Amino acid sequence: MKAQDVKVCVLRIEGTNCEDEMVEAFRTVGARPEKVHLKQLLGQCSDGLKRSLEEYDILALPGGFSAGDYVRAGALFAARIKAAVGHDLKMFVEAGKPVLGVCNGFQVLVELGLLPAFDGTMAEQPEAALYTNDSGRFECRPSVLRNDNRGNCVFTTGIKPGALMQIPSAHGEGRLLSSDPRFLDRLETGDQVVFRYVQPDGSPAVYPWNPNGSPSDIAGICNPVGNVMGMMPHPERAVTAYTAADWTRGHRSEDGDGKQIFTAVMKYLSKR
Amino acid sequence: MAVKDRMMKRQAVYDLCDIKLSGASDEELKGISDALSLGLSLDEMKTVRDYYAREKREPTDVELQSLGQAWSEHCCYKSSKTFLKEFVFGLNRDDVLSRGDAGVMIFDDDYGYALRVESHNHPSAIEPYGGAATGIGGIVRDVICMGAQPIGLADPLCFGRPDRQGELPAGIKHPRYLMNGVVSGIRNYGNRIGVPTIAGAFYFDEAYTGNCLVNVCCLGIVKRKDLLNNFASGPGEIMILFGGRTGRDGIHGVNFASKDITATSEDDSRGAVQLGDPITKEPVIHACTELAQRHLVTGMKDLGGGGLSCVVGEMAIEKGCGADVDLEKVQLKESGLAPWEIWVSESQERMMCTCTPDKVQEILDLFALWDIIATPVGRTTDTGRTRLYWKGEKIFDMDIQFLTGGPVYRRPFNMPVPVRGPDRMPALPAADQVLITLLADPNVASKEWAIRQYDHEVRACTVTHPIVGRLNRGGPGDATVLKPVYDRWKGLAAAVGCNPWFTAADPYRGGMASIDEAYRNVVAVGAMPNAFTDCLNFGNPENPDRLGEFREAVHGLGDIARGLGIPIPSGNVSMYNQAPGGEHILPTPMIVCCGLIGDVRKAVTADLKRAGTQLFAVGDTKDEMEASLLFRIFHGTGGQVPLVDVPRLKEVSARLLKAMGEGLVLSCHDCSDGGIAVAAAEMAIGGDLGVELDVTDLPGQDLNVKLYSESCSRWLAEVDPKDADRFRKIMGDAARPIGRTGSDVFVIKGTDARIPVSKLRSAWSEPLWQVMGGRAQ
Repeated sequence: MKAQDVKVCVLRIEGTNCEDEMVEAFRTVGARPEKVHLKQLLGQCSDGLKRSLEEYDILALPGGFSAGDYVRAGALFAARIKAAVGHDLKMFVEAGKPVLGVCNGFQVLVELGLLPAFDGTMAEQPEAALYTNDSGRFECRPSVLRNDNRGNCVFTTGIKPGALMQIPSAHGEGRLLSSDPRFLDRLETGDQVVFRYVQPDGSPAVYPWNPNGSPSDIAGICNPVGNVMGMMPHPERAVTAYTAADWTRGHRSEDGDGKQIFTAVMKYLSKR
Repeated sequence: MAVKDRMMKRQAVYDLCDIKLSGASDEELKGISDALSLGLSLDEMKTVRDYYAREKREPTDVELQSLGQAWSEHCCYKSSKTFLKEFVFGLNRDDVLSRGDAGVMIFDDDYGYALRVESHNHPSAIEPYGGAATGIGGIVRDVICMGAQPIGLADPLCFGRPDRQGELPAGIKHPRYLMNGVVSGIRNYGNRIGVPTIAGAFYFDEAYTGNCLVNVCCLGIVKRKDLLNNFASGPGEIMILFGGRTGRDGIHGVNFASKDITATSEDDSRGAVQLGDPITKEPVIHACTELAQRHLVTGMKDLGGGGLSCVVGEMAIEKGCGADVDLEKVQLKESGLAPWEIWVSESQERMMCTCTPDKVQEILDLFALWDIIATPVGRTTDTGRTRLYWKGEKIFDMDIQFLTGGPVYRRPFNMPVPVRGPDRMPALPAADQVLITLLADPNVASKEWAIRQYDHEVRACTVTHPIVGRLNRGGPGDATVLKPVYDRWKGLAAAVGCNPWFTAADPYRGGMASIDEAYRNVVAVGAMPNAFTDCLNFGNPENPDRLGEFREAVHGLGDIARGLGIPIPSGNVSMYNQAPGGEHILPTPMIVCCGLIGDVRKAVTADLKRAGTQLFAVGDTKDEMEASLLFRIFHGTGGQVPLVDVPRLKEVSARLLKAMGEGLVLSCHDCSDGGIAVAAAEMAIGGDLGVELDVTDLPGQDLNVKLYSESCSRWLAEVDPKDADRFRKIMGDAARPIGRTGSDVFVIKGTDARIPVSKLRSAWSEPLWQVMGGRAQ
């Protein structure tokens, strides 16, 4: 499909707060993004505002503190989505349409059971959680990611395996843990690891390059099919080179590294 | 007659007292003011008594409470207004779009930017987490009621030293505890509402131990055609209260802010601290910007100090209207509030808008989508009076002019007389020790501990960051540059400036120096300063010495702003900053400067870029050592407080901006605490690069003066040797070479100092982590 036909649903509730830049990122790569409140999918609004998930080609869950994150991060938003449009969402994913969750959006996808979703589209119970950072603090800092996906994930279509990308992090709960002892193995075997934190020279990350202490430095994962991807760092904050923390020290391109992820998913859709 | 006999409970379903003022003696008037916690003086009570004599009736408690709010120092600036009028007001320029709840300046042909700073000092001294959080909430509302989208927060904070040892005065909390609470409050509120905290400052001094300062600033961006008024456009409009519910939190907050902190403030005034709720606020931001964009409202205003009692009158009076309010319609957190409590409550997250009756339903629908409580509670009239009703029964009827007029005082003040010791350069240890000590002072040391807890990048508009240089190995930045409109390259820069030590030693010069610092921070990133907003934190105005400091500092601010031709479209005054026992704070004129840069891709940062480049000192280094960091630490006395030469500042900054515009400046850093030596070391830390500092060419004899003097209007600039001639041609006599970059060692020529940059880095980056817990980058 053509870029200008790609409709993106940027879903929000109270406390979602990275939707403007998410919309802007999709606009930059030629898509047609729209901010949609969950109540619009539920029909709890005037007729003109009612929307249905199936109208869209991409679903994006932006960062923020949905519903305040006063319970577990992402838990309330996930519960509301599941109760309201759980079935529609499952259909959306099974239709192969891309779903992106960034930061709080990643936490929501894990709470929804859409990630890692080892045994199907959407697990009944969450199989993992994003825990409080090792440092115990919110960490807003630059991070460098390596594309460790071997071709499964639609959000890295065309990005070279092993490519390094400078994409900033800003979260208090980003340590991906699971009670499943085979968790990392299964992610690896299923080509579900998408991004790892590394140092700028590509060597393994230590704090603060891994800002949260995630085992195996995992920054982003996808589902077994590769169309649902969640990541803690914010690619939508790295669409232009001029928001990087060190761009005045020189930069390769006018584009920021985060833009590649949006370009990648558009490339994937262009072949559909 | 006993005071309680003058208060007669009305036989009604609501809780109301009629107060018999007629015939009250001086003592009884004072007694009534105290019994109702009105905070009104005897003279003010007499004026009130005379008003009701003219009205030929007795007041209700709701009316007296309303006066207590409206006439507080916090609301009507009764002690400060005279001086603000004399020195600061009337600084006009035609790019000031509004002087409403926030100032609004022209950003470009289509957009304006909003700016405002205010204090939340007293609540934060009692309950640091909640005080700071609600401070952010309030300042954000000031920006959104202009129709603007908030795009940045800046939080200058002052505390006692966090590593303070020894006993604390009664009722005072440890600075480390306060700092932790305040930073957590800013983090949890700012991060949750999705507005980046882009700038700030920390000032540490024993004088802030008993009364910390929490100043909060918010910037916003608004399409000029969507800019809102903060008042109704005429009679017959509907007043809609929206946002949070009304409760007993935050009652008498303005009165608390208008008196000194005491040993028992915690117990007496806890109810004056409001409770914030960022997840009510976040959708309010969306709804308000949409209301503005759809042109549905005629005016919008924040409920801040004084709550409904202030907002209703202020929204009505601007166009000479009156207002009728049905108080029972206000949605409450709990039942059983007396009408006066509803009327003066400062519960958070509340705002009011006015609209023509045909727009009400559309507005309520918009709020409903976001689950925001919104209730039409009143209407504007042509009576010029505020009238309150409880289910149709009138309980309040006052002339708005009288109510909001408020007294203005010309309180006595003493002109400050500087107390100066003999001119004495202190005995100093070896130069490397001096530099390490200065870098490790909490006033200079890295604030990374706080900066990384704040999301300074949300909205994806942050172009230059608070920490600049090598990734995760940066140094301090000067101003932060934002790119507020996604598809435009134009930038908005913002930075904080203040020097409380200069201001204490010489209020006039200190006021000027504070503006100078904010201004040069903005210039350092390549932006042209465009507007200031100020938060003036001072002591008890009833003390003539304190008021004299205030007067002279304001005098200095006014002179420099006028000289620079830069407006101050918004500001705030916080007085009564005094600890139990009477220790007053350092006079603290906190300045935020905003600047514009045509293309953010030309912005400059402070980190050294490469080896083999030349370093220049820009501006004039003079023997001005009084109140400098060096003197404060090593006990020097005498000398001069730096004096700003305003025409020279204008000239030098224009030249520097020209050089930056031509791309000649690789890095640039403001020269402030610790002088040239510290500024150069900070640039070295950010770039992870050595420097051979050689100040021989600077005028004067004393090496220590050249290295550590804190003369105003100075920068350091890094220039490629191939561009050095062109740079010097542009700068004229304003730039002098002070060395070269290279290697990984910081060398000060003329001394034995040869310090590895890694050692500078740990001296600078570790101190706050060590005190607050955690670890450096």
